[in-house]
Amino acid sequence: MIDTQSLIAQSAAKIHERNGGRAVLHGDVAPDSYWDAIIENGLHLAWASEDAGGFGAPLSEVAGAIWNMTPAALPFVETLIANKLLELGGLELAKGRASYAIGAADGVHIIPFADAAEDVVLFGDGHIAHYKSHDLECRAIDSLSPDADGAADFSKANPIKCAHTNISLSNVEAIILTLRSVQMAAAMDGALSLSIDHVSAREQFGRPLSKFQAIQHQLAVAASQVAAANMAASQACAALSNDMKSAWHEAAIAKVQIGESIEGATSAFQQVHGAIGYTMEYDLHHYSRRLWAWRDALGNEHIWAQKLGDDLAQKDSNKLWRGVTTGVW
Amino acid sequence: MNRFNFPAIKPNPALEELRSEVQAFLLAEKEAGYFHSEPECWMSSSDPEFSRKMGARGWIGMNWKGYGGHNRSALERYIVTEETLRFGAPVGAHWIADRQHAPMLIEHGTEAQKADILPRIAAGECYFAIGLSEPGAGSDLAAVKTKAEKLPDGTWKLNGQKIWSSGAQHAHYMVSLVRTSPPDGRNRHVGLSQVLIDMSAHGVSVRPISDLAGDAHFNEVTYDDVILPADALLGEEGGGWQQVTSELAMERSGPERFLSSYVTLEQAVIELQGKMSSSARARLGLIYANLRTLRGMSFGIAKLLEQGVSPETEAALVKDLGNSLENKVTQNVRAMIGELPINELSDTMKRIINIGVLRSPPNSLRGGTTEVMRGIIARQLGLR
Ligand SMILES: Cc1cc2nc3c(=O)[nH]c(=O)nc-3n(C[C@H](O)[C@H](O)[C@H](O)COP(=O)(O)OP(=O)(O)OC[C@H]3O[C@@H](n4cnc5c(N)ncnc54)[C@H](O)[C@@H]3O)c2cc1C
Repeated sequence: MIDTQSLIAQSAAKIHERNGGRAVLHGDVAPDSYWDAIIENGLHLAWASEDAGGFGAPLSEVAGAIWNMTPAALPFVETLIANKLLELGGLELAKGRASYAIGAADGVHIIPFADAAEDVVLFGDGHIAHYKSHDLECRAIDSLSPDADGAADFSKANPIKCAHTNISLSNVEAIILTLRSVQMAAAMDGALSLSIDHVSAREQFGRPLSKFQAIQHQLAVAASQVAAANMAASQACAALSNDMKSAWHEAAIAKVQIGESIEGATSAFQQVHGAIGYTMEYDLHHYSRRLWAWRDALGNEHIWAQKLGDDLAQKDSNKLWRGVTTGVW
Repeated sequence: MNRFNFPAIKPNPALEELRSEVQAFLLAEKEAGYFHSEPECWMSSSDPEFSRKMGARGWIGMNWKGYGGHNRSALERYIVTEETLRFGAPVGAHWIADRQHAPMLIEHGTEAQKADILPRIAAGECYFAIGLSEPGAGSDLAAVKTKAEKLPDGTWKLNGQKIWSSGAQHAHYMVSLVRTSPPDGRNRHVGLSQVLIDMSAHGVSVRPISDLAGDAHFNEVTYDDVILPADALLGEEGGGWQQVTSELAMERSGPERFLSSYVTLEQAVIELQGKMSSSARARLGLIYANLRTLRGMSFGIAKLLEQGVSPETEAALVKDLGNSLENKVTQNVRAMIGELPINELSDTMKRIINIGVLRSPPNSLRGGTTEVMRGIIARQLGLR
């Protein structure tokens, strides 16, 4: 579930509004005051357990905070994930902006939103390692999103701390995919609001675009995709809150469903906006470009459909039905 | 975020226990050869004998109290209905009465009607047909012309014609939307009422119409000076339009709006065990993700029903997404099994996929078309 009304989520919404609301999007980076308020309210530590130095807030509430701040140009989700990984390695949490990477300590790996991160947490080979960004030679790589990815050669740096962990790659994938699914559903919802406002205000042929049935139906279809994305993200959150070991399944489903839904929804949003939506002068690109980047992160929906299908093909048809109805893998 | 209301539902062991019971029953019936799984079973596979067995187990009439009902939750009813769809069981005879006419009678029926009819519905013995569409009134439902005229003694005289009435040839009753007084200028929503029609009444005639799959499951129904008793009026005189809106929300609310073709997928997975190509597996993964997501949304609607909330918009949304998915499942199953030489497919698989293809077009028509569903969603978005 995604609880946008919880205290944590409300405080995120307030921070978002105070720092400009929708206008916060106009810079490619959110104002420093925005991140400072996150730190002040401890939102970056909200999800980590109390033992680890966090607040142990339920994922449903943390997801609500993510929802209410999307798509501000801040590494909030990345920091939440990095801190969860540090917690799982029994290491001290990061104090500021952080991000993560997956892979062996002697390889080159992608770091989401690398520019913004002061700390980077690497998961791989049964280890969790904490690096300072300035120790990593990070190279910007071509990116669909303004929150650009970077790539770093981890063999050229030493972590400040490192610990053994017995969590599996699929646990880590479940964490990343689930939080991203919330972010994607939220950005789709935001872009839908923008589109509704636009077609209600813009007039052609002497009436608002919203009065044309073709426009109504495009947005109705897109809204259904937004609702589906929301459900997929909610089910992924519920699974991850319940039992991390079985969460991979719902997280993979969310990845596939939302990846597919994004194409239908964003093409409708772009279409009903006309040319203005295809500019840097209007807000839609902040949503579209991030959605197109997030759906590719950690493998696109096609790769994940293949993974799910490969797994399902091993199972009998009773398990297929059980998965559909109960989410149990 | 709160444009639509799809409540999340926590896992519940009691529901899973019920599911196991239903599964055991359905498996035994199927293995004993009492039915063959079929796509779209809820509409096209009717077997009164099977309906009586469901009734005897308490799996019809689950959501009302007294009058033969079992006072169980909407979530429990959902589990039963989704399992019957998964098995493609012959539930068509009782489906419509259980889904929408029983709730309608509970709300608008007289004491005598409830006592007489509801226990028979719950027993799986009494079937209903829906009398909305007419030759001149499809999507534009307010254009119905069938007329009920009040006679001096309080009875009604009914004249007109309904069409596409599913199951009317087996139904004991039909509830029709009719005009009881003229429209008020351009406002056609006034003057419409719902009436309960005993199909054995003098002047009611039923002509079955063969569908594209060759089954005569829907009908043309003609009313020729049919005299209805005074209490045939359901609910308020002139309140038919509002009542039909709730009826349609019920009609669209269930898992049959996305699972009609599930049996084809299940059969394909059985037949292709160990033989699926990589692209077939990718198709399976995608369809599976879609099914799991829609199931969450559809189950959320059951929760709304339980909370007494009319799920009008949510049901329209799930129906629209679900109808596309039903046909997407059929098309993907075609692609998956198409990889095998035709003589390696069982007769069952061939029969099921052919029925699935033939029965694809009505998914996005009956219960309101795609275009009508999108209009309802657009209204919720504030666009109309
Ligand atoms: C298998 C099956 C079972 C059925 N069972 C029943 C039943 O039991 N009882 C009953 O009463 N009815 C039943 N129906 C009828 C069903 O409800 C109607 O088919 C449906 O409402 C559409 O009406 P129509 O067929 O007259 O099509 P039309 O209304 O003529 O529509 C034709 C096409 O035009 C589109 N269209 C119409 N108006 C507009 C508009 N304003 N804007 C954009 N597009 C529009 C429609 O969406 C559709 O695509 C059944 C239909 C089928 C196929």
